[in-house]
Amino acid sequence: MVRIPGMNDALELLSEIAAAQSGFVELRYHAKTSRSVGVDKGKVERSQARHRKGVGVRVFENGGWGFASTGSIDGDAIRRAVDAARAGAIASAVRSKHDFMNLPACQLARGVFDQPGLADITARTLEEKIGLATGLEARVRGASSAIRSASCSYNEIFEEKAIVTTDGARAAFRLVRPELRVSAVAEKDGQLSTGNEAVGATGGWDCLFHSATGEALAERAAKVAQDLLSARHADGGRTTVILAPSIVGLLVHEAIGHTVEADFVQAGSVAAGKIGQRVASDLVTLCDSGVSEHYIGAGGTIPVDDEGVIAGRTTIIENGILVSYLHNRESAARYGVEPTGNARAWEYSDQPLIRMRNTYLAPGTQSLEEMIATTKDGYLLDGPRNGQADATGEFMFGVQEAWRIRDGKKTELLRGVTLSGIAFDVLASVDAVSSDFRWDLGAGYCGKGQPAKVDAGGPYIRCRALLGGEQ
Amino acid sequence: MNEQNLLDLCHRLLELARKAGADKAEAAAAWGRNSETHIENGAVHTVQSGEETLYGLRVIVGSSQGFVTANDLEPSLMAERAAEAVAQARVNPADPFFDLPEPAAITRVDGIYDAAVEKLGSTEVTTMAADMLARIRELDPRVRVDSGSVSSSVSARALASTTGISASESDSTLDASTFGMAVDGDDVASFDYDSATSRRWLGFNAEITQACRRFVEKCVAGLGAGKGESFRGPIVLSPDAVTEFLLPTLIGAMCADSVRKGRSPLASKISQSVAAKMLTIWEDGRLPGGANSSAFDREGMPIVRRPLVSAGVLEGFLFNHYEAVAAGHGARSTGNAAGGVGSLPMVGHHRLEVDAGQTAMADLVASGERAIWVGRYSGSTNPVTGDFSGVVKNGFLVGSGERRPVREVLIAGNVFELLTKISAISRERQEMSGSALVPAIRAEDVSITAG
Repeated sequence: MVRIPGMNDALELLSEIAAAQSGFVELRYHAKTSRSVGVDKGKVERSQARHRKGVGVRVFENGGWGFASTGSIDGDAIRRAVDAARAGAIASAVRSKHDFMNLPACQLARGVFDQPGLADITARTLEEKIGLATGLEARVRGASSAIRSASCSYNEIFEEKAIVTTDGARAAFRLVRPELRVSAVAEKDGQLSTGNEAVGATGGWDCLFHSATGEALAERAAKVAQDLLSARHADGGRTTVILAPSIVGLLVHEAIGHTVEADFVQAGSVAAGKIGQRVASDLVTLCDSGVSEHYIGAGGTIPVDDEGVIAGRTTIIENGILVSYLHNRESAARYGVEPTGNARAWEYSDQPLIRMRNTYLAPGTQSLEEMIATTKDGYLLDGPRNGQADATGEFMFGVQEAWRIRDGKKTELLRGVTLSGIAFDVLASVDAVSSDFRWDLGAGYCGKGQPAKVDAGGPYIRCRALLGGEQ
Repeated sequence: MNEQNLLDLCHRLLELARKAGADKAEAAAAWGRNSETHIENGAVHTVQSGEETLYGLRVIVGSSQGFVTANDLEPSLMAERAAEAVAQARVNPADPFFDLPEPAAITRVDGIYDAAVEKLGSTEVTTMAADMLARIRELDPRVRVDSGSVSSSVSARALASTTGISASESDSTLDASTFGMAVDGDDVASFDYDSATSRRWLGFNAEITQACRRFVEKCVAGLGAGKGESFRGPIVLSPDAVTEFLLPTLIGAMCADSVRKGRSPLASKISQSVAAKMLTIWEDGRLPGGANSSAFDREGMPIVRRPLVSAGVLEGFLFNHYEAVAAGHGARSTGNAAGGVGSLPMVGHHRLEVDAGQTAMADLVASGERAIWVGRYSGSTNPVTGDFSGVVKNGFLVGSGERRPVREVLIAGNVFELLTKISAISRERQEMSGSALVPAIRAEDVSITAG
């Protein structure tokens, strides 16, 4: 039995096993360690560690796919998983063969691609991480007598991967993703309101706190909860909205990004057949990248995807024209294009699916102040709560703060609203894009049968959409 | 791995924890083997199999707690994990409420393990998946299956503690799900989905057939969706919407941790009216053969059947052991320690049952009225305040002799107020993949905004 103490030995062992295989075999060693601390109302309620590692194997044979996984990391167990995946591929091919028998050759990654931040976070003690969470939670509670309760959680995920395919990939990397969430509950006369702030990054604490310190996040969560206590509900209806980078991030991820994932396109999403067509205002350029564009630390950064493809930048919409979908190797073969490095698996026992990474709308030239000053009647929306979208591009986002804009001035704060619309219609209505840029969904997880760490962001944009409110 | 192997593993972990310096410890272990066929774009795509043993070790040193979960079974690594849990506990602040429960009598639940499921291999599971696709195509070729799966799994779990708890259980699960939409020319309807879940092989194909029928009906009904109308008035929540929208906020506010943290509007409402009198909700996590039934919770406490809301009156809160100790006043665990072996015990509910009402589902909206039928709800609900705002999916404008699909319709309000405005409950109920048995529910005076 060969024990694998770490990533480099895994790379060697997987290469040795792959060399003895026929046809297409993809082997992925994936070790994940996560640590989390949760503080609630002055108590450390959760401090825990999770270690999970194993090897996932995919085989493409006779035009069918098979996948098997083993949590037991020795050569014999991995070879048995290869056999099981091969049997699965044969069973799959009996029912429905793909229209190609081999994956086309493409440029595959070779080498070690470690990401920054590992040394920083490893060097920080558990005491320091508990101190961060307890300190920020106490800061929220101490912000005002109206704060009834507060919580703060700190999580970090270390990942090690080694990916080997029989057609040439031989890549490995390590990365770390820290996350911090702070929330406040305020109360007045029996009325409750909440304020939530969250950040997440790929890298060290310098990346995590790039846009705001922990103290600033705590104070903002407390302030939002207090301010919302006296806020009234927004009026519902179609209106002009200026979306903050966090909401732009939700829009480009949920409402556009999913519709251009090639598997959704094949199933008939609203983006099907629209390559080369105008789908947005010419102010809109939209990308998805494995790299953290603009500044380091975006939460969905990956150097190489789980098929061994380098995860570079893909422009999806260029000046309003749809120019690309997001692909894995299989969909790229079907569409006759190069894979875009979007195949991702959550853990070793998950098979890679087409997923986004860091999705963003490119900045423009205006300032936020100019955009507000030229808005006669509308809302400035900030603070994402959640979001969902449909194959039709119809989306729904929960928004924490809605600021009324009247005659070019930001006025009162209103209670959380729901923003809805048809994504391409909303993008077609974009008439102003700011020069700011912020990654703002790094604490987020995307769900598609399995989770994925993603990030999204952009500048401020002004557009027309539907607000859910009071009738 | 069988139940005895897992109990042995738990006892080895307890011993390692003691050696590392734990005063008390609880070990939970689970083994699972599954075979799953994935569907993508209307065709069988990947046939998958896997097997794993996972454990979670909770230790208490003084009044501090540590927790580690892992899937490595090598003795030296297990000793490292136990030492890590104890080291964590030594760093974590003390909390006098950290404790482990004493053993309580547990009786096995019948019908949750079927040996026939264990015999199913990838060929049989793939055949079921292909048949499911064929059924959907036969029912209506306009329906596209974007993704789906059929899976069979067998699992065993065990839990042991230094306070003397020793419990184990085995089960089997068959699951089929389908997700997609109807496409008719340029008309693309909303996504929808359905699923079937069973502990037993016998009869599962019939359950898949029913799920296919529901799925196709829901997808096709969304074709031709047009503009809605803005008004304040009644909505009817389908069984899907009751399960995914109404119940989670209500039950979340009944969890003792929400109450303790000041995040529940129901904190002072025990024995008080919180909903219309016609609403009665039960929790029954040990229904024989139930797809989510189990004899014991994440801490080894027995799961029972009990009322949560009776004729609109709140009966009690949901406790795990920590919350019971923290609440004091003689509170005891209600068997609601939730989570898998890979997580610390949380608070959560088991299978829910909402009592049937008196009105036929078709009569929930009388002729001449105007209401919105909410097939699904896609939106946000603030769990603390109950404020909600979201998009109606598979929505219909009902009334004036018509029932037409609508899109871009939002509803907004407050869940806790909505509960008091329930005006009718359907006679018919739907089993929601073993997680709930629910009717359709009508509520009055909701803000409805059309795009």
